[in-house]
Amino acid sequence: MEHKPDMSSSNLVLPKKPSGLKNFAKKLIEQRVLVLMSVPFLAWLFIFKYMPLWGWTIAFQAYKPAKSFSEQKWVGFDHFKFLFEDERFLRVLRNTVAMSGINLVLGFVTAITLALLLNEVRKVAFKRIVQTVSYLPHFISWVVAASIIQTTLSPDGIINQMLLWIGWVEKGEEILFLGIPEQFWTIFGASSVWKDVGWNTIVYLAAMTMIDPAQYEAAEMDGAGRIKRMWYVTLPGIKPVIIVLLIMNIGYLLESGFEPQYLLGNGMNVDFSENLDIFVLKYGIAQGNYSLSIAAGMFKTIISFILLFAANNLAKRMGESRLF
Amino acid sequence: MKKKILLTCMTAFMIFTAACSNSGNGGETKPTNSTNTPANTASEGKETDKPVEKVTFSYFNGVAAAKDINSNETTIGKILEDQTGVNFKIEHLVGDLNTKVGTMIASNAYPDVMIPDAAIDKILDAGAFIALDDLIEQYGPNIKRVYGKYFNQMRAADGKIYFLPFSNTVGEYIPDPNINQGAFWVQRRVLKEAGYPKVTTLDGYMDLIKNFVEKHKDEDLTGYVSLTHDWRFFATSNPPNHLAGYPNDGNVIVDMNTFEAKTYAADENTKRWLQKLNEINAEGLFDKASFVDNFDQYLAKLTSHKVVGFFDYGWQFANAQNALKDAAKQDPTQDDFVYFPLPVTFDGQKDQYLDPPGFVKNRGMGITVSAKDPARIVQYLDNLLTDENQILQKWGIKGETYEVNENGRMYRTAEQIAKIDEAFNEKFGFKYYSWNWPLYNNGSSLPDGNSVSPGMQAEVFQMSLTNEDKTILEKYGVKTYSELFAAPDDRPWYPAWGIPKEQGSTQQIWETKKDELTKKYFPKLVLAKPADFEKVWTEYTDAFGKLDTAAYEKWTTDEVKKLIEASKQ
Repeated sequence: MEHKPDMSSSNLVLPKKPSGLKNFAKKLIEQRVLVLMSVPFLAWLFIFKYMPLWGWTIAFQAYKPAKSFSEQKWVGFDHFKFLFEDERFLRVLRNTVAMSGINLVLGFVTAITLALLLNEVRKVAFKRIVQTVSYLPHFISWVVAASIIQTTLSPDGIINQMLLWIGWVEKGEEILFLGIPEQFWTIFGASSVWKDVGWNTIVYLAAMTMIDPAQYEAAEMDGAGRIKRMWYVTLPGIKPVIIVLLIMNIGYLLESGFEPQYLLGNGMNVDFSENLDIFVLKYGIAQGNYSLSIAAGMFKTIISFILLFAANNLAKRMGESRLF
Repeated sequence: MKKKILLTCMTAFMIFTAACSNSGNGGETKPTNSTNTPANTASEGKETDKPVEKVTFSYFNGVAAAKDINSNETTIGKILEDQTGVNFKIEHLVGDLNTKVGTMIASNAYPDVMIPDAAIDKILDAGAFIALDDLIEQYGPNIKRVYGKYFNQMRAADGKIYFLPFSNTVGEYIPDPNINQGAFWVQRRVLKEAGYPKVTTLDGYMDLIKNFVEKHKDEDLTGYVSLTHDWRFFATSNPPNHLAGYPNDGNVIVDMNTFEAKTYAADENTKRWLQKLNEINAEGLFDKASFVDNFDQYLAKLTSHKVVGFFDYGWQFANAQNALKDAAKQDPTQDDFVYFPLPVTFDGQKDQYLDPPGFVKNRGMGITVSAKDPARIVQYLDNLLTDENQILQKWGIKGETYEVNENGRMYRTAEQIAKIDEAFNEKFGFKYYSWNWPLYNNGSSLPDGNSVSPGMQAEVFQMSLTNEDKTILEKYGVKTYSELFAAPDDRPWYPAWGIPKEQGSTQQIWETKKDELTKKYFPKLVLAKPADFEKVWTEYTDAFGKLDTAAYEKWTTDEVKKLIEASKQ
């Protein structure tokens, strides 16, 4: 410990700052231990996060595996052209953004609401039970979850049985929920909420514990009821968390997930269920057309990058907390 | 003080990472050298009388799911190791085939031998298999004997052979007494109640189901189910072809006179088939959930006793049928729910449900560029193809898993049949050796007339029948299920779906797009109000018309004609 002030103060002691390069070299030598320590991690970052970017060149080739780089045929922007001229690609893009948007909005609203409500619960046992029950589905794999959803929604599933019982549908006229294309987004949104709402509340509940109880007391003194306290104390208290999460999630807007759409999708609802990842699987990987997959992946990365920076910038301008 | 410790840690870490990367580079060449030298000197020292050094090769199987195992841990594998000194470390696919194979291609590191199954095009594209021609010439007298007449069909575009398929028939062709291929299936009790009628037309079949469901209103029965899940959709899209009297050639019907291949996904046959389904749907006989159920739900329905009839391939719903048969063995009254195959066609014309002796050309086993000693592997494979080893592979050991009677006919006793269950299959090695190696195909026979595979031997088949099985077969005047069906015509190109297609070729893209269209429109057509059927059909054919079907048909026709030529040589 006693070395530390010594190291940093040495800068201040210098009578006159030397020029940039000299200063840099001097600092480098002084802090060689720190520099050395960071080398392996920089190397890791470079090898595993930056080197793979080399693979993006595949998007501009008619890539054949097992051939060396110099033997590949270059095709320029052909794959991008194929993507953007394909009507299916636009439809798939619409589905991706729509489902992501549904996920984003629904996910935030339901998770924050549940967190707010749970925060007000005084009975600890009840709170625990609600929390456990709501976050358990998160640990079920989508394969199992999709089976549960399919069974629930099937013509002899519980929902149709209930509709039959209250007389909304006739026997033999059961509704084929997964066969109605327009309903797919609803089903997808509801299943995602069911699966992840409990899990998503955890971070908000944690943020709420950080709020100073004195604020609640003060608010109560001023005559604020429960709702008012939620609105004027709890919500502003967790605002920084909400905004940071929002920025991060906007970066993932083109990642609407793969499993639920793939597992719940079928021929009847394909117009609304097929998303970017499934498209890439079908026309890229399954056909051995790796170049197309990379082109689609590149497109996704670049858009995500722009979205992330835009959201962050917006937060900065509005004077809110931000990611970086 | 602290700085020093930190520095020491740092240097230690750096040295460690450096050491790691060093051993990574040198490791590949050095150890092989060091193991090679003693082996070389040993063989130089006394190479004459000692049998060859024992080796283990790696073998990846992308088709089947089973426990990973060393072949010499099974009885069959041990005997083969004693003969050749070769052991195989068998690895099975876990997870996604394309991912696994893609990783191999990217790293250019393969197992010694592999069966890439559906990813074989990718493997060939990557040049991962070595050409076998010279090796077969040198070490493969048996391979030549068994595969010789198929060599022309096995050659790649460059005229070389890269892998050995498994569907070569040797000797007299013996058809399967069971129905493992397509058929229209119906619960046995339906036939029993109707007095065992001979049903050969689609209308007759649907009426049979209709009458039965009407008579048993209180049982909440499902008349007809169809399998549509994922790639198994062909169970719903193939029937028009079968109903018109053709075998399963995939996407095309091949005219027997002109040998022109025509797709049928949007022709009159398909229209007639879908219209029939639309009709029974309107009558409440069709299970709507067919279009959203997954494969497990489908199998569960078949075992629920509620489904009266359906079309499917025997191998596909074997799990469900076996469960029903097992139940019937325990309790004969359950026999009512076992499904019985019927040779149904549109107008009762000659059916072609049984597979002609075909040759699947786009699946097989190859030796990779990473293989250490291809010659040893080819010798092993060649050794597998002797008559004696074929008997070992399929029948097992005389006195233990089969018997021979005074006429030289091979059979199994009731105890032996009972003994051979899944656990025994694994331990003895039938599970690992009955398929997925170069072999005589199931329909083959030995020179003495015995069938190569026990399942096709009439004696073994008869032993597997229950009294109820015998009763129903008797009512139809046959001894085996396949006798109900017409004998297959000769089709040298069969199956057309087995013609290899290049990765990302126009044919493959046509098939993907066609799949997408049929999966989208078939449900609409079947579930539409009967009055709207024509309208939806026009919509479908308009969309289908946008595909370049003519090019696909031309390509298939050319390939079929090439195969006919190849078979004449």
